[in-house]
This record gives sequence, structure tokens and C-alpha cells, in this order.
Amino acid sequence: MRRRRRSASLSERLLGGPVLWIGLVGLTAFALGPFVWMLLTSLKNRQELYATPLQYLPRHVTFENYVDAWTSPITPFSRFFLNSLWVCSVTMIATTVVSVLAGYAIARFRFAGRDTLLLIFLATQMFPSVLLIAPLLTQWRALGLIDTYQALIYSNFSFTVPFTVWMMVGYFSSIPRELEESAMIDGCSQFGSLCRVVLPLAAPGIAATAIFAFVVSWSELLFAISFTTQTNMRTLSAGLLYMVGQYEVQWGPLSAGVIMSTIPVAVLFTFLQRHLIHGLTAGAVKG
Amino acid sequence: MSTVALTGGGRRARPLLSLRTRKLLTGYAYLVPAAVCLLATVAVPIGKAIQLSLYNDVLYKPQDYHFVGLANYLRLAGDPVFWLTLWNSFIWVFGSVVLQFVVGFATALLLHQAFRGRAVIRTVMLLPWIIPGVVVGLIWEWLYQPNYGVINDLLINAGWLHDRVAWLSNPDLAMAAVIFTNVWRGIPFFAIMLLAGLQAVPGELYEAARIDGAGVLDRFWHVTLPLMRPIIVVATATRIIWTFNYADLIFVMTSGGPANATQITSTYTLLQAYSNLDFGYAAALSVVLLLIMLAFTAAYLRVTKGVEEA
Repeated sequence: MRRRRRSASLSERLLGGPVLWIGLVGLTAFALGPFVWMLLTSLKNRQELYATPLQYLPRHVTFENYVDAWTSPITPFSRFFLNSLWVCSVTMIATTVVSVLAGYAIARFRFAGRDTLLLIFLATQMFPSVLLIAPLLTQWRALGLIDTYQALIYSNFSFTVPFTVWMMVGYFSSIPRELEESAMIDGCSQFGSLCRVVLPLAAPGIAATAIFAFVVSWSELLFAISFTTQTNMRTLSAGLLYMVGQYEVQWGPLSAGVIMSTIPVAVLFTFLQRHLIHGLTAGAVKG
Repeated sequence: MSTVALTGGGRRARPLLSLRTRKLLTGYAYLVPAAVCLLATVAVPIGKAIQLSLYNDVLYKPQDYHFVGLANYLRLAGDPVFWLTLWNSFIWVFGSVVLQFVVGFATALLLHQAFRGRAVIRTVMLLPWIIPGVVVGLIWEWLYQPNYGVINDLLINAGWLHDRVAWLSNPDLAMAAVIFTNVWRGIPFFAIMLLAGLQAVPGELYEAARIDGAGVLDRFWHVTLPLMRPIIVVATATRIIWTFNYADLIFVMTSGGPANATQITSTYTLLQAYSNLDFGYAAALSVVLLLIMLAFTAAYLRVTKGVEEA
């Protein structure tokens, strides 16, 4: 970043100083405040949670809400967590393989209908997911896949694949063709040059794509509530909603569940935000 | 084309055409898995949805399953709730996107400045955007809670409110409350997109404008905004489509209530399928949703094409 701070006018100094800091503090507080409140809630015991007047800070910090949520037999949060972990991991791996191949093909081979295909991938992202619920439910029922992980994983492809292919096309296009060509002249096959030259170079992009697929699957709610009926098959999102329906909203365990559902995606995102942001904006910003 | 010519030059022994055909076949082979995924989870289901919309298909009344032609669409045209949901969708999309854009732009301008700890602040500000919709809905339900919610408490302590307000069960306030939540969630999206746009504006242009005597506001209006027009169009259009389709948040927070005050078309479709199990009607609603989105997308692609060529 180059800074241009010679002979700054008064308005510029105001914008660079007080306005900047007040704005930053305000926006950060706005973004973080609700999380902080949820965290405080999850650390309070029942009396403190429902105290009048409102008690802002927990006087006796307790982790019983976390233990309750995690071990509850009626709403087994640990099971929801593992379900989500499995569904999202498989979705992530499968999506990544599929989109690496397709992205590479679209970026490297000039075949008929290439632009149409890209347009289809783009348009698919704009379909409402409620559109798919009734037909997919009919389809999974016919195949006997209700209450299975497969139904959730396959359904997730409908929104992960179009976007990740789009991202991969962007990454592969930014790798110079000449590298592959020289590898192929040296005797590599097309597939060999993909594995030995392109994939290592695209590794950060592929990682970002994978994380993206994981994070969006982690948030998925509508398929999860529609295609599972047993408590044991609920994912985190569906499970949290189920907790609301079961308890006459017990905010203690629920807030603990909310915090525990947030942590994995927050951590993943923090590690990879630079690459993710690059991937998300690459298509939108022209040179 | 250039690839073929180049590699062809490297291996003169093989006939050009067969290499080219082979490459094409490899290309198609790489596309097969993605095509299968999308056929099975998008294309076939959409066809199925169109078919379902022509049938009376209520899940718990299998004996009534029969072809009804356009009856579901006629029912939809005469359904006052459907028309209400269209209007609600408009308010929901308009309110959410305008506010997200304004605050997101302000955030992007702030994050564009160089200051210590910028990376940390940026990550923190993006958090609301990456967490699951259910989590967002539940967090805000708790904040809005009439008796133990912190929002009422803060507003009363500040003297701006006299009595506790039931934000989500008051028909006059519920829509504003869910929109506010959606704004909280969507600001980071605009912040990221617009920040990328800001960083792509060449610094020399500001320098030149400054030498010509342009003030901060002049530079914003005459340098920043025109150059960012493409990304503004793309980001806004994407967000409009996404918000129109988005059902999770309202479904979690109010289920479209009270008395359909927050019922948008996508949550109405969801309720028909999920709660009423009326698949025929839900399918007809979703086909209408799809048509609206296709019309919007076509218009959007036309506009962005114009922007890119300009």
C-alpha cells in the first residue's frame, strides 16, 4: 500500500484521523457485539440468564451450558456436530475433485459451447434453493435415501459445485499455459502436467475452494430439515432449530450450541480469508 | 487454438487433427463428473418441479394425486397471500440491499485506509457473513427477546424506549427487525467486494485529481465511483438475487409471521412444501420464483455486458 499523505487538507486529516477511528470502533462493535452477548449468555447460569434487571456480565462463570448441550440425550449436540463434520467433509472433498477437473477443462480446452457452459454454471447459482426441495425430496424418497448422509451430500452439490467450478476456472486461467506446454514437450501427458505442474501452482486456490465448499455446507439448513426425520441424522443447523422446538427455548444450552457452531467456520475462515476473498472477487474485478 | 499450434509444433510426428480431437475428448471427460452432479441435483429436479406444478400432489393425500393442468397456477394468481409475499419480498430485498450497500461501502472506505491492525479488524468484521443463517437468526432472536433481550434493555436505559417491545411478534416492526438482522449479516459481503474495487483504482488518478484541485468529495464522485461502477453493478445484482431467494433467516426468526407480516415468496414456498406438504402448489410457486429470477438475471447479464464493454 502506497500512502499519499503529503500536504493533506483539513478534511483529509479529519477523515484519516477521528472519522476513521470512530467509524472503525463503531463498525467493529456492531459486527462483534451480538457474538459477545451470545458468549456472555452461554457462560451464565440460569438465575443470571433470566435475572431482572438484566445482568450483563456473568458473576459466576460456568460451562454447564456447554456440557448440557453437548451431552443432552434429547438434543444430542455432539451427534449433530459429528453429522455436520462428516457431511461437510465429504461434500468438500467430492466438490473439490469435481470442480478441479471441470475448472481445468473449461480454463484450458476451447470446445464448442464453452461460454454457454460457463453461463449455465453462473445461472445455477441464482436458482432459489426452495425450488429444489420438493423435487429432491421426491427423488430421495424414491431412491430410499431419506435419513442418509448421501441425500444431504448429493443435495449440497447443487449449490457448491456451480460456484467452485467458477472459482477454479479463475485460478487455472491465471496460471501461464507455457508452463504446462513445456512440461508436455518434455514428455508429460495432459493429465501428468495437470498433476505435476498445475495443481501445485493452484494449491492455495484449491484450498480456498475446498474451505468455501465446507463453510457453505456447514450453513445449509433447508435440505437438512427436509431430507432427515430422525434426530440422530440432524446436522448442526437443523439440530439448532430442533433445539428451539424441543426446549421451550432454553437459551443457556442454545447459546452454547450457537458458539460451538460458529467456532469451526470462524477458525477456517481466519486462516484462509485472503485466498477466499481473492476467489470471490476475482470474477467481479476487471484487471 | 494457440495451444494446439504450439504443442503440434513440438510433436510433428502426430497428425494435428487427432491430437486436437484427443484433447477435446479429454476436456469433455473432465467435465463429466460436474455435469453428472448438476444433472442429478439441479437439472432433473427443475424438470421435476415443473412437472409437479401441474399435479395435485399433497404428500399426506396420495389418493388425490392427479394431473390438474394449470390449476395450481390459477390458484396462485387468486391467492392474496402470494401477492402479499411478492410485495414483502420487494421490501425485504430493497431494504436489505440498500442498507447493506451504504454501510458496506463505508466499511470498505475505512478498511482501505492503512492503519495498524487492519488485517485483524478486517477478519473480525467479516465474521457475521460466514456463520450459518440459523446461528444469525438465533443470535438476533435472543437480542430481540422482549423480556431478557439486550436491545430493549439498552434502549430503555438510554431513554429512547418506555416499554419493552416485542420486536418479532409485532406486525408493524417484524419486517424492520428481520431486515436489520439481514443487514448485519450482509454488510461484510459489500465491504469485501467494494474493497477489492477500491484497491483496483490506480493511485495516480487520485494524485492527478488532487493536483487539479479536487477535494475529497470531488475525488470520490468523479474518480472512485465511476471506476467502481462495474463491481458495484455485479455486487448489487448478485446480492439482490441472493436476498430474494434467501429463506433461512426469516424461516428461523418468524416463519413468515406474525400474520404473514414477514412472509416473502421464498419462505411461503418453503412453508407450502415443508409444513403443508403441498408439493404441487409449492412447485408452482417455485417455478414462478425461478421465472422472476431468470428475467432478472437476463436483464442483469445484459447490463453487465454493457458495463464491461464500456
